Amino acid sequence: MAKNLKEILVDNSNGLVHMWLEEVAEKQKEVTNSAISQDLFENTNREFVNIIFGSVEKESLTSDLDSFTERVINLGWPLSYLTDGLQLFKRVAIEFLIEHEELDVPVPKVLRHVDELVNPIINQLVNEYSGSWENTVSLQRVALQELSAPLIPVMDNITVMPLIGTIDTERAKFIMENLLDGVIKHHAEVVLIDITGVPVVDTMVAHHIIQAAEAVRLIGSTCILVGIRPEIAQTIVNLGIDLSKFPTKSSLRKGFTTALEMTNQMIVQTNSEEQTIEELIDSLDRSKQS
Amino acid sequence: MDFRTCVNIQKEWDIVGARQFGRDFSKKLGFGIVDQARIATAISELARNIYLYAGSGKICFDEVENVGSRGICIVAIDTGPGIKDISQVMEDGFSTSGGLGAGLPGVKRLMDEFDITSKTGEGTEIRVVKWVR
Amino acid sequence: MRIPILKLHNYLLISIQIDLDDQTAIQFQEDLLNKIHQSGATGVVIDLTSVDIIDSFIAKVLGDVVTMSDLMGAKVVLTGIQPAVAVTLIDLGIHLNEVTTALDLEQGLIKLRQELEE
Ligand SMILES: Nc1ncnc2c1ncn2[C@@H]1O[C@H](COP(=O)(O)OP(=O)(O)OP(=O)(O)O)[C@@H](O)[C@H]1O
Ligand SMILES: [Mg+2]
Repeated sequence: MAKNLKEILVDNSNGLVHMWLEEVAEKQKEVTNSAISQDLFENTNREFVNIIFGSVEKESLTSDLDSFTERVINLGWPLSYLTDGLQLFKRVAIEFLIEHEELDVPVPKVLRHVDELVNPIINQLVNEYSGSWENTVSLQRVALQELSAPLIPVMDNITVMPLIGTIDTERAKFIMENLLDGVIKHHAEVVLIDITGVPVVDTMVAHHIIQAAEAVRLIGSTCILVGIRPEIAQTIVNLGIDLSKFPTKSSLRKGFTTALEMTNQMIVQTNSEEQTIEELIDSLDRSKQS
Repeated sequence: MDFRTCVNIQKEWDIVGARQFGRDFSKKLGFGIVDQARIATAISELARNIYLYAGSGKICFDEVENVGSRGICIVAIDTGPGIKDISQVMEDGFSTSGGLGAGLPGVKRLMDEFDITSKTGEGTEIRVVKWVR
Repeated sequence: MRIPILKLHNYLLISIQIDLDDQTAIQFQEDLLNKIHQSGATGVVIDLTSVDIIDSFIAKVLGDVVTMSDLMGAKVVLTGIQPAVAVTLIDLGIHLNEVTTALDLEQGLIKLRQELEE
């Protein structure tokens, strides 16, 4: 008898496909994505419903389904497109079977049987999808880690590490190791750690930064902490964090000047007129500070 | 627990032997160079404490597994005098031997898990674990 | 085992190439102080590039050597501490605050000269 239900569905596939396509087109209005062309959408729908029928007919999961799912994933379509489609298919099939005259199967049985036909397909889709998500997430994690602690050797002996975003324990460890390896690799006598892009400096973050700076000192280099915004200076003091052991500067530019002094280097401007103006401004700047 | 290897600590040189074994073992488990140094240093601390305060004992190594991650478990066992006040020896800078007193609190920071049981007159057992990142 | 101590003008140069055990470390402390006394050296560079582990005991010996040498009028610079070793020392809570460090032997000598001239 179970076979009968399936046979009825397969025999009437033309009508069912038609009903399904209409329903999907209706649904599509809600989630219209203008980037998807009408043609592409219709073709995909047609292919999709054929694959559903293929799976239902063979009562097994076909490799067509796998490759179709993969293509939909690559198109970047949401999982809901597929699950909605399958739910619609269930509804269409159930409605069709219940209204089918020659059939005297009790409704609960119809429901269960359609579930048994369609649910494996849904499960497989979800598995494929989440597999590809996990893959993406782990790739992104690697990418993020690479972005996480870049080191820029600005010139001989001076390296800059701009930190952007939130720092957690895991990332702090990564930053520290990258920082130390970079100092060795670039033979940096001075490293500027720029925290302009770090939104919140709490005790934990400060602690990690201090530890990194101390480790840098142990391997024989010097850390200058730059990019200390007013609100960060406030939190640092309010939290009672002691940063007095390290040179700190409000801007990368000031830190860089200090770094030049420390490494006995200086930048000479070729245009002397501008240079005197620069000097004038700088000296004003300095007298204001002291 | 798959297998267990133990290194006896009796002479001063056994400290070096234990940490070298621990470094090789952690390398085989896939730890990075920095974690290898952390593990070797923790072993050095534990082994030296056994040598200094208990006279002799042993350091045992196990590979441990948890959902999806691998790790090293190190147990330092001795039948020495034991530790009277555990919270005191876990304080930075506490030492009865003029050392830096960095050993035990340091080991706790170097590793991911740290358990200590000790009974005066009976001995001390310290179990530490580090997971491969 | 003994660690060789080389003399160069007013400086003593030491490169530690072995896994330090406690006895060797203490022997080295003694040898270095004697050498400073004999030679009247004013600067010492201890290169640790090949050292892959420094635990709290070795750290204490090194810190003590620096303080003791200072008392005898010789300035010590530690060079070449490996990143992994530095991270471990920080975890241990050992900061060697009084110790001057440099990236390598060459930088160490430059730093010594600067500090001694001042
Ligand atoms: N296995 C042990 N048995 C008995 N007492 C111990 C043992 N391990 C440590 N202790 C006690 O705990 C104290 C703290 O140990 P810890 O390793 O932290 O510092 P330390 O050995 O004194 O100095 P450091 O390790 O920095 O050189 C020791 O001084 C000792 O009294
Ligand atoms: Mg100790």
